[in-house]
Amino acid sequence: MKEDLVDITCCPLDKHDLDLDIEEREGDEILSGTLTCTECGETYPIEDGIPNLLPPDMREEAPA
Amino acid sequence: MSDDLADRRGTETTVYQPAEDSLLLAEAAVEEVGSRARVLEVGTGSGYVAATVADEVGASVVGSDLNPYACAQARDRGVPVVRADLVSPFREDAFDAVLFNPPYLPRDEDAARDDWMEVALSGGETGREVVEPFLDDVGRVLAPEGFALLLVSTLTGVEEVVEYAGDRGFSAAAVREESHSFETLTVLKLWNN
Repeated sequence: MKEDLVDITCCPLDKHDLDLDIEEREGDEILSGTLTCTECGETYPIEDGIPNLLPPDMREEAPA
Repeated sequence: MSDDLADRRGTETTVYQPAEDSLLLAEAAVEEVGSRARVLEVGTGSGYVAATVADEVGASVVGSDLNPYACAQARDRGVPVVRADLVSPFREDAFDAVLFNPPYLPRDEDAARDDWMEVALSGGETGREVVEPFLDDVGRVLAPEGFALLLVSTLTGVEEVVEYAGDRGFSAAAVREESHSFETLTVLKLWNN
């Protein structure tokens, strides 16, 4: 993901802003890190360049 | 009609691949979306519609999907992607247009599959079980002059969808229509009154 994606995303639970923590980047592409809600503190992982902003109770849901 | 939802759509079992409905939504979006628009495609799947709108219109398009394999395919296609449930992690007024080709086939218990293709195709008992929560929340992420383009089928019940959207403050117009063997596909444009 690109850093400016943070400008249009929010916590899926309470709709507050997210803080970006970058672990690994390649040019302007963030490959891994976390997004943390500035209000409730819930953290959302960024893996393989894709932020997982599913609510925590849906994160493990995998039909396949 | 085949007993198996996926058989009707080819052999792919993890990510829905572009079909007639995707092409129709992409065509409508290319016509309706402006070059400076910020666009979200919900349930982007392979990323085909999002990439087409970005390439042909020059709009800034983000995709979201519930399915991690779809997210990976869309990203490989160059679409900025977020794994998400409908529009839940997007900010108020963030988009000029939201596109959605939802899972809309009424669920067939005999052919139910417990896999990602079922999630991509089945709209529950009525065919509207994903469309309705989408309509409940999409107004929040649309900018004041924004609109949604929603693909619906006669199998989903176009009138029922228009009525449900109306109850949530949307006006609706059909901007594209195409008949196929067992359904007519319609792209509805929805905007806040």
